[in-house]
Amino acid sequence: MKRSDTQQHTPSQLSPDAHQQPLFTSLQQTIDTIKRVAGNSDDVMVRQLYIGEAAKQSLAIVYVDGLVNKIEITNTLLEPIMGLFTNQIEKNIENTTDYLKQYCLTIGNVQEISDFATLYRSLYNGSAIIIIDGIATALSTNIKDAKDRAIMEPSTEAVIRGPRESFTETLRTNTALLRRKIKNPNLWIQTKVIGSVTQTDVAIIYVNGIANDKIVKEVIERLNQIDIDGILESGYIESIIQDVQFTLFPTMYTSERPDVIAGELLEGKVAIMVDGSPFVLIVPSLITSFIQSSEDYYSNPIVSSLIRLLRLVAIVLSLIAPSFYVAVTTFHQEMLPTPLLISIASQREGVPFPAVVEAILMELAFEILREAGLRMPRTIGPAVSIVGTLVIGEAAVSAGVVSAVTVIIVALTAICSFIFPSYGLSNSIRVLRFPFILLAGGFGLFGVMIAILALILHLCSLRSFGVPYMSPFAPLILENQKDAILLFPRKYLTKRPRLVNQTNITRASKYKKHYKRK
Amino acid sequence: MRKEATLLLLTVLCLLLSGCWSKRELNEIAIVVALGIDQLDDEYEVTVQIVNPGEISSKQPTSGRSPVATYSATGATLYEAIRKVTLLSPRKSYFSHLQVVVLGSEFAATDINPAFDFLSRDHEFRNDFNIVVAYETTAKDIISVLTPIEKIPAHKITNSLEISEKAWGSTVSVTMDDVITLQYGKDSSLALSTIELIGNKKIGKSQENVNQIVVSAVLKYRGLAIIKQGKLVGILTEEESMGYNFLTDNIKSTIEKITCPNGGDLATEITNTKTSLKGKIVDDTPKIYIEVNVEQNVGEVNCVIDLVTEQAIKKINEETSNVIKQKIEKTLHALQKNYEADAVHFSNILHQQEPKKWRKIEHQWATLFPDVEVIVDVRVQTKNSGTIKNSTFFLSKE
Repeated sequence: MKRSDTQQHTPSQLSPDAHQQPLFTSLQQTIDTIKRVAGNSDDVMVRQLYIGEAAKQSLAIVYVDGLVNKIEITNTLLEPIMGLFTNQIEKNIENTTDYLKQYCLTIGNVQEISDFATLYRSLYNGSAIIIIDGIATALSTNIKDAKDRAIMEPSTEAVIRGPRESFTETLRTNTALLRRKIKNPNLWIQTKVIGSVTQTDVAIIYVNGIANDKIVKEVIERLNQIDIDGILESGYIESIIQDVQFTLFPTMYTSERPDVIAGELLEGKVAIMVDGSPFVLIVPSLITSFIQSSEDYYSNPIVSSLIRLLRLVAIVLSLIAPSFYVAVTTFHQEMLPTPLLISIASQREGVPFPAVVEAILMELAFEILREAGLRMPRTIGPAVSIVGTLVIGEAAVSAGVVSAVTVIIVALTAICSFIFPSYGLSNSIRVLRFPFILLAGGFGLFGVMIAILALILHLCSLRSFGVPYMSPFAPLILENQKDAILLFPRKYLTKRPRLVNQTNITRASKYKKHYKRK
Repeated sequence: MRKEATLLLLTVLCLLLSGCWSKRELNEIAIVVALGIDQLDDEYEVTVQIVNPGEISSKQPTSGRSPVATYSATGATLYEAIRKVTLLSPRKSYFSHLQVVVLGSEFAATDINPAFDFLSRDHEFRNDFNIVVAYETTAKDIISVLTPIEKIPAHKITNSLEISEKAWGSTVSVTMDDVITLQYGKDSSLALSTIELIGNKKIGKSQENVNQIVVSAVLKYRGLAIIKQGKLVGILTEEESMGYNFLTDNIKSTIEKITCPNGGDLATEITNTKTSLKGKIVDDTPKIYIEVNVEQNVGEVNCVIDLVTEQAIKKINEETSNVIKQKIEKTLHALQKNYEADAVHFSNILHQQEPKKWRKIEHQWATLFPDVEVIVDVRVQTKNSGTIKNSTFFLSKE
C-alpha cells in the first residue's frame, strides 16, 4: 500500500546535496541546524569560543571526533585563534574569515564554505569547520587524521622477486603509491564522489597521452550514471559498470599491487580506485592479464615463457581434467592403454557410484573444504585440513565409497586451480568445472567438446570497455603475441597492446640486438 | 524474454532425451584380452579371456583367485556365439582392448575367412590385435592356460610373440591391420605364427600352474602356419620360418651358427638386415631377384680362428651368407613345391613393378607360382667381434 510512497524516493535524497540552503548568519542557528541534522550524534563536537580584543566575537569549531587529528586542532586551530586579541576583528566582522585565513591559521588547506551541503561533506570527510557569528561563511580546514593500515605485503598476489608493497584502504595513500612509481605530471587523477549515503571517493587514474581518450570518456560516463546509496568496495563498481552482466568471467582486472597497476597504466589502461578498498580495478582488461603474473616481467623471459605455458596447461587441466576422466572411463574406454584401463578398473571394482557421481561428489567435497578453510578462524585451520585429508583422501578410498583415481584427479584439479595468478578467473573455472563434468557424464567427450566450443564462443563474445576480451588471440594480433602466452625479452617489447591503445603505440625505441664484444 | 527463456529451457531439456547413450561404467564391462575361435562340428565355439581387474592391481595382495576367467559359447555364426557368452558372463564383453585372437587348429584347417570378416567388420574391435594359430589343439586350450610373471595370459602370448620376432626371428606378429592392408583375398596366402601348449593341460588351467618354478603347462611358439585360400595347409619348420622372415624383410636380429674352417662352431649375431625384392616378367615368365644385405657381429667363438685377419672375416661372411641362403631356399621350396602358397606375396612385387605384364599372367598365377625362378643373393658384412678380438680360450696351437 505504501509502495507508491517508497518508489518516489531516489537514492540521492539521502545525499548531503539535499541540504543546499546557505548558512545562517547567526552562529547559534547554524549550530542548531548541524546538530539537528546530525541527530545529536555524540561524535559531532562543537567547541564555542570568543575572540577579539574584548573577546566578544563568538566563534565555533565543529568537527567529528575520531576523523580529525586532535593534536592538530590544538596546535593549528585553538592555539592561534584563542591567542588572537586584536581589534581588527571587531572593526570589520565581514573580514574575519580573510583575517583568519591570512594571519592566523597555520594550516595548508583552508576553504570557504557558504552552504550546508559543502559543510556536511567536508565535516564528514575529516575537516574541522570554523563558523563565525555574524557572517554566513564558514572555513573548512582539512586536518583529517587517517587511521591507516600500514603498507604491507600483498596477501593475494605474492611474488618472490618484485616490490613488496600493496595498496591499503586509504585512497590518498594509494594514489601516493602510484605517484611514487610514475613521477610525471601526465599521471592524471580525477576523483568523483559516488554513493549518495556513503559519499565514497572514487578516483579515475590514467596516463594522459597514453590512455585512449575514448576509453577514459567511457569510464567517466559509466561512473556518472551510477546512482546508488553506497559503494563499500571496488566490486560494487565492477559489477555495475562491466560490459556484460551475466558472465562468469571477470572483465575487469583487479590488483592490490602498485607495480601491476602502474604497468597496466603504462599500457594505456585506466585504473579505478575506490576509497576503502585496496583492490584497484583496471579497464579494459583482456584475458591475458588474468593468466600473467607481475613476476613474469621481473625474471628471465625464457623461464617466464615456460612458466606461462605451464600455467596455461594447469588452467586447461583444472577445467577439463575431471570431465575428461569421466568421459573416458564411461564412454571411451578404448582410448586408454590396456594396463591403465585395467588398473583404473580394478580401483573402480566395488565402488557403488557411477564415475560422474563420484567425480561430482569429490569435487563438491573439495570445494566445501576450500570454502571452509577460507572463512573460518585461523586457529581451527589444522582441524579442517586433518579432517579433509583423512576423510576425503584416505577414508573415502579405503571405505570403498570412491576410487583412488578420482581422488587423484580431484587433487590434481585442486592443485592446478591454485596456480591462477588471478583469483577472479580461478573462481569462474571452479564453477565451470561442474557443468563440464555433467556434460561428460551424459555425452562423453562429445559433451566436453560442445562445452569447450560454447566456452570459446562465449569468451570471444565478451568485451571489456569495447575491447575484445580474447585479444590478442581473437582477433589475432601478431605484434602483441610477444607478451601473451610467451614473453619475449624486454628489448623486443617495443609496442603497447593494440586495441587498448590506438594512438601512442611505441613504448620503447628499437635496441641493438646484441652488444658486441670489443 | 520469457519466451526466449522457455525456448532455451526446452532446448536444454532436449539434451536429456538421449539419456546417457552408450554409457558403460568400468565395473559393468568385461575387458576381453584374448579371443579363441574353434570349430565344433557345424558350429563355431568362441572362448573369451576376461580380465578380473581386482586380481591384477598391484595394490592388494592376491586373494588366490584367478586373474582371468574364460567363457565359451557356441553358435552358428561368430557374432551369435559372442553374444551368447553373456549367458555365462556376469558382464558384457568389451572387445576394444583385445590383444590376441587365437584360431583353433581345426578351425584353421576348415576356413578362417568368416573370422576375418567378423573381426574387421565389428566396430568394437580395434585392428591392432595379433592373430595366431593354435598348434594341433583348440584355441580354448591355449587361452585357458595361466602363465607366470605376466598375470594376464594374453599379455604373455603377445609379448612372447613380439620379443621372439625381434630377437630370434622365427615368429611373425600379424595384426588384423596387416591382414587388411595385405588385401588378403580368397586367393592369396598368409603366414601366421603358431602357438603350442606343452605339458599338462589340466594343471595349466589352475592356479597351481603359476605356483611352480617349472610350470607344468607352458605356451610355446612354433614355426609359421601357412594359410592358403583361408585354409591351413602346413606349418613351416623353425628354420623355414626364419627364412620366411628373411624373405619378407622382417628380421630385426637373430643368431646364425656357422662351422669354422678348422672345425668347431661360431655364432654370429645378425644386427641389421635389408631385403629387397625385384620382380621381372620376361615372355610371360616371372622371375624374382632377392637381395639380402646382412650386418653381423661375431658373438661366440668355439673354435680356433684368427679373427684379426681379413681372410677369416671373409670366410665368416661367406659361411653366414651360405647358411642364410640355404634357409631362404628351403623356405621357398616349401612354399613353392609343398604348399604352392604365395605367402611371401611375390604377386604384389610383380604387380607393383611390372603392372602391365602382370595383368596378362595374373589369372594363371596359381599355376605359375610353383615354378617361378628365384635368384637369391645374400651379402654379409661382419662389423664387430664383440668386446674381445681373438678368443683367449681357443688359442691357436701354432
